[in-house]
Amino acid sequence: MNVLLLLALILFILMSIVGGKKGIRSFLALFLNFGVIFLTILFMLSIKNTIIVTLIACTIISCINLFYINKFNHKTLAAFVSTIITLAVLVFFIFIIEHHSMIQGFGEEQEEEINAFSLYVGIDFAKIAICTIIMGAIGAIIDISLSISSSMNELFVHDPSVTKKNLFNSGLKIGRDILGTTTNTLYFAFVGGYLTLIIWFKRLSYSFGDIINSKTFCAEVISILSGGIGVAIIIPITSWISASIFLQKREKGKQYKEIK
Amino acid sequence: MSPLYSQHIRNLFSKQKSNKLSRKQIFLYILGICCLCIALIVTNHNYSLYKKTIAEVVKANVVEQNKSTDLNHNKDAVYSQKIVAKIMNGKYKGRLIHLENTYSYSGAYDQKYTVGTDLFVSLEKNSQHALSGTIEGVKRDKQVTAVAGLFILILLAIGRKQGFYSIISLFINIVLLIGALNVYLALGNVSLLAVCIVAVVLFTVISLLLVSGNKEKTHVAIISTLIGTFVSLLIAYGVMQLTDSNGLHYEGMEFVTIPPQKIFMSEVLIGSLGAVMDVAITITSSVYELYEKNKEIAHKDLLKSGKEIGGDIMGAMTNILFFSYISGTIPMVLLYLKNGSPLGYTFSMNFSLELIRALTGSIGIVLTIPITLYLSSLFIFRKGNRK
Repeated sequence: MNVLLLLALILFILMSIVGGKKGIRSFLALFLNFGVIFLTILFMLSIKNTIIVTLIACTIISCINLFYINKFNHKTLAAFVSTIITLAVLVFFIFIIEHHSMIQGFGEEQEEEINAFSLYVGIDFAKIAICTIIMGAIGAIIDISLSISSSMNELFVHDPSVTKKNLFNSGLKIGRDILGTTTNTLYFAFVGGYLTLIIWFKRLSYSFGDIINSKTFCAEVISILSGGIGVAIIIPITSWISASIFLQKREKGKQYKEIK
Repeated sequence: MSPLYSQHIRNLFSKQKSNKLSRKQIFLYILGICCLCIALIVTNHNYSLYKKTIAEVVKANVVEQNKSTDLNHNKDAVYSQKIVAKIMNGKYKGRLIHLENTYSYSGAYDQKYTVGTDLFVSLEKNSQHALSGTIEGVKRDKQVTAVAGLFILILLAIGRKQGFYSIISLFINIVLLIGALNVYLALGNVSLLAVCIVAVVLFTVISLLLVSGNKEKTHVAIISTLIGTFVSLLIAYGVMQLTDSNGLHYEGMEFVTIPPQKIFMSEVLIGSLGAVMDVAITITSSVYELYEKNKEIAHKDLLKSGKEIGGDIMGAMTNILFFSYISGTIPMVLLYLKNGSPLGYTFSMNFSLELIRALTGSIGIVLTIPITLYLSSLFIFRKGNRK
């Protein structure tokens, strides 16, 4: 039996026991997400504008994780709109950062692995670098925006006469509480994947200057930091959009009552 | 002064305190911004700190352009650049140097240089007047500093106090990790996994104490995190033993300097830690809040609400791990596929390890939910019984 299959089976059993129906949906969503990444990579082989491909992929991924796992309602709608806006802002940010720091493609440390390949493959790796960073952070961005919008909804239900400003401020407060743990999650996930790289640097006695200027290291650090920036800027964006959408819903409800 | 009036003022004051910045905070922000500015100025003018020669590009012209088609019919364009750069440090400081560079449209392993870029160069002196050399790499320290500065500023501006704590905890974690690896390399004969297990305990205790303070719920979260992480690691280890590591492709692992099996388990352990901590702290906070709000709450109801919260965060947390692992492989997968590697081979080479990481981490996340719930209710009701 294959390691992957057995682990997936264990995960499926655990998720269905602990999470019930929602657990099963979450497990299926993981597969759907993998399918989306798979298709995205295939599209990237032939479509030049890989950033657009990534943005479409991210939209589909947000739909899966928000509307499929949690059903379509004004909470998930607010989270969805905020995710898309944050992604657009983040792409712009990362585009500038990538352009100046030149972290695309592969570093010296990967030379052994890539030297069997032709490197002139006609894909703009600068754009691929942007896609990689965005894809790495999308999970965390969706998570944080959904957490904020559902907690805000909870507050809104308890106090329907709340003002927009107060609702927005409580959104910020909720966001701040989860900011620390989410940046930590991203940090450990990335570091876990690059433990070997750090040991490589140490073994080959790279100097501090060598490390901080190496392409592989910079790419890694910039990925973590950009993810962190994304996770931070989604907090005010979600708070504002959720406040607007919830209050609009209240206004509509009022009008409806008046007509009646 | 009537008591009501003083109350009103107090309210106003507390409102002001929460919404507007105090003088001390403003001072701290200005101090922070000054530090960042100094860091930026330093990294922009730190040429003399480097032993390697650095040259700043002052002129870059494309002299040749060729179309290229490789064996797999991939079309690309290859350019040659003639670069004039000014040496910024060392013996030849201030002199000009002539460099050559070849880059492609893809830029997988090469780079177009523009005016203003700082390059590390190795000098070859072939005549007395003209200096020439080869490009060894790009100086990226100021860009990294700028992004780090931006990150810190945004986290502080949005996260305020919590943002500050998360930066501190990130910083401590980085120092701890480097410390742990130094210990590992200095001792030589201990296993990396043992060092990482000790590091994981420290990471968990420090991060969680910083995030939520020295309270009972933090202690519960710490214990649950440790149990969750280690049990999931044991499960992964058991599965690998049981299946004889069938389907594992250590060949796909990058930057390997020691036997990959050893390092892989350590990577899995550290990689899932953040997510497991996140789950543990979310569940303990919610369960304790439910209890604080309603001290009469029945054991069963508390567990039921906790389970619901667990189900809500499970999907999102597993997704975070999944995406951060898989995304890093995209460039390599594209390179494999463009070079005509078969789909199955490409995927098993690049994805098998990442998927195992993600699956093990996810198992840790899901396991931590009932563990945390059980432990928090144990602590809460033990306390309740005592009263």
